[in-house]
Amino acid sequence: MKIALLIAWREYAENARTKGFWFSLFLFPAILVLSIQVPILLEKKGTPTRHFVLVDASGSFEPLIVQAIADQDTRRADEALREFARGKNVPEPLSRFVKTNRELDLAGWKKDAGAAYLQVPGFKPPNPKFKRIPLPSGVPAKGSLDTVAQDLRPWLRDDRKLPVDGVDRELFAAVLVPDDLEQLARSSAASAESVAGSKPAGIQYWSGNLADTALLDLVESTINAELRRREYVARGLDPAAIRTIEKSRAPVTSLNPKKASGTEQVGMSDRIRQWLPSLFVYLLWVAIFAISQMLLTSVIEEKSNRIIEVLLSSVTPGELMIGKLLGIAAVGLTMLSAWIFAFVGIVLWKAAGISPAEAASAGGMAQVPGDLAGIIRTTWLIPAFALYFLLGYLQYAGLILALGSTCNTLKEAQNFMGVIVLFLMVPLFTLTYIPRDPNGPLATLLSWIPLYTPFVMMNRVTADPPLRDVIGTLVLLIAFTSLVLWGSGRIFRAGILRTGQPPRLLELLKWLRNR
Amino acid sequence: MPPALELRNVTKTYGAFTAVDDLSLTVPHGCICGFLGPNGAGKTTTLRMILEIIRPTQGTISILGSPSALAIRNRIGYLPEEKGLYKKMKAWSVIAYFATLKGLSRRMARERAFQLLERYGLKDFAEARTEALSKGMGQKVQVLAAIAHDPEFVILDEPFSGLDPVNQTVMEDIITDLRQRGRTVIFSTHVMAHAERLCDRLAIIARGRKLFDGTPEEARRSLPCRVRLQSADSIVRLQGLPEVASMISAGEGRWDIELTDGANPQAVLEACFTAGIRLSSFQFTEPTLHDVFVKQVGSDAKEATFR
Repeated sequence: MKIALLIAWREYAENARTKGFWFSLFLFPAILVLSIQVPILLEKKGTPTRHFVLVDASGSFEPLIVQAIADQDTRRADEALREFARGKNVPEPLSRFVKTNRELDLAGWKKDAGAAYLQVPGFKPPNPKFKRIPLPSGVPAKGSLDTVAQDLRPWLRDDRKLPVDGVDRELFAAVLVPDDLEQLARSSAASAESVAGSKPAGIQYWSGNLADTALLDLVESTINAELRRREYVARGLDPAAIRTIEKSRAPVTSLNPKKASGTEQVGMSDRIRQWLPSLFVYLLWVAIFAISQMLLTSVIEEKSNRIIEVLLSSVTPGELMIGKLLGIAAVGLTMLSAWIFAFVGIVLWKAAGISPAEAASAGGMAQVPGDLAGIIRTTWLIPAFALYFLLGYLQYAGLILALGSTCNTLKEAQNFMGVIVLFLMVPLFTLTYIPRDPNGPLATLLSWIPLYTPFVMMNRVTADPPLRDVIGTLVLLIAFTSLVLWGSGRIFRAGILRTGQPPRLLELLKWLRNR
Repeated sequence: MPPALELRNVTKTYGAFTAVDDLSLTVPHGCICGFLGPNGAGKTTTLRMILEIIRPTQGTISILGSPSALAIRNRIGYLPEEKGLYKKMKAWSVIAYFATLKGLSRRMARERAFQLLERYGLKDFAEARTEALSKGMGQKVQVLAAIAHDPEFVILDEPFSGLDPVNQTVMEDIITDLRQRGRTVIFSTHVMAHAERLCDRLAIIARGRKLFDGTPEEARRSLPCRVRLQSADSIVRLQGLPEVASMISAGEGRWDIELTDGANPQAVLEACFTAGIRLSSFQFTEPTLHDVFVKQVGSDAKEATFR
């Protein structure tokens, strides 16, 4: 056993020294952090102010749109100020309006500071998202909309720039509102048919950027709301009453019959409970896949270098095999624990930055760490993960060792590896299906295939699968893993010293039968 | 005290092919034994069987008094024919790793590794990864890895192959150092010069069979002495001498004369003077191991290349 541990230690040290290992160690947390931080950063700094022109032939919508954009700017500035007040070094007198829970009493502050409430030392209000600018000189606003659009083309195509406050800017979009918009809207509502013909009708939104539709959405919703308001008034309805009516909602509560009475309500915690195993399955998969490759490379290196001969004059094939299995398992465990610690750490860190008010609006995100801890405490998630990692790894490692010992070069082995990978893909495809019906026929069937048992049972672990499935598949998995290890031990012993052509299937069977 | 190594009627077959055929061999303690033979003679197979990496089909092997090499593996060192090292490991750590597998403590193994690297001129490469070493250096590192645990019995399979003359000398130094410390060494080669300089005993095998086993002196004595002379005169009269076994003309007045066993070449020279044969050259050569080898395995070696 001492020898096996020596081999395991070298295996671990060698693999832990590779760049690939460190890369994979940090890649997962890095992706996790980036996927959370990048949208926030983009939101903060990202998009510069977009400039647009607005021509309203009817004249009645223009102030509304301008107002809507101003409102949006105010909302964003307010939010940024709230965020600023939550940080450190909040200057006087703003700090007096920060409550003990680090929430800013914005209304109080606005009342106190008046119109200059955004002028706080150290605080930089966000750039406005959209800014309306006057038409370029030489483009008359009085002509028909088609003429205006025609005249604006060079700017919209970016052939010409528009000077704004002395700086040349791109024209992001042109919004052209016809004077007969009200009639158009009314007739379209009546006929329930599209009025779109060969000629563009209604609001014309000209922009080379097809991806960012925020401005169009804003214009549309503003105008639609106004059109509806006018229509209500025209029909003698009270717009305020309508707004109240539109706010009414039928309350919905999701309930889970499996839980004790009084706690049936389905919350965030239950959703996490349903989906968390998928994350663990994914980790399991990535870990097993990555370290299988390491194992294969390591076996092939010793074989193709003929180091194996020196080794076998010092150690038995059994010791060598156990040493390798242990060493690579340790590499996998290091990787997995680093990932899980990183995951928990990042969740806690992000959750700590969420205020109770936001938490309420985000559907209880703030309770996530508590929920996670609760789930981890009350379910078999972590022990099952450890168990299934171990068995799943041993099972695939056995196959890989047998494969590696019969091949002379990595290239040769990779051909066969393809088959194993193909088998390994299945649990990845079913990853998202199984939580939807964790005790359904597909999940049950796959659970009973030893190659998939670790992944699928891991996927089902928080769904209280029937005891028959848990025990049965586990026994089958252990039996199958033992069989694989026993067989691969024999093939390993016979194959590891062999050079030349890989053995035929018949030969393999012979190796299995005798020593 | 039993011999360091004893093979008794060892046979190894692979299906219909016999790699080693009824081989018996004894190597006493503290001697250097050369294992000579053409390619495919069964040298490597025999060495692997001695190490218990593979098992003989028939026969018994006893090494350092034990029937199993694996049971006493810490007392044996082995350099295989095909040389390879862990590419990403440093030279000293490869040596130390193999030494720990042979039972040395980590600290001891590290110490030994640096000691050996320094002694054999590789001190500056101790921290280099083995993939950065030249072939010769790599091979030296591998030999050092094989002897780092100071084994009593060292088996070297083709230790000289692929080494330049300078490094061949270093390798010879390593082997003589081992002898000086009373270790038993068995190495295979097909370069006779090394065997001639190093071996206390040698065994010649071809096609799996042992053709000779004994000291180099015995090997040389197994071949008759030869005289090569050149003369414009007729030398037919020498034919009658009891010392002369055969005479072959090499053309242009040159003759190769094979002497009978134990004959003194001086007698031939005297006979020339008395017969008035004017010699333009007279050369007496002792047979070399090369001659022995060619004589013993000549036909086998040629066949082997076609097999």
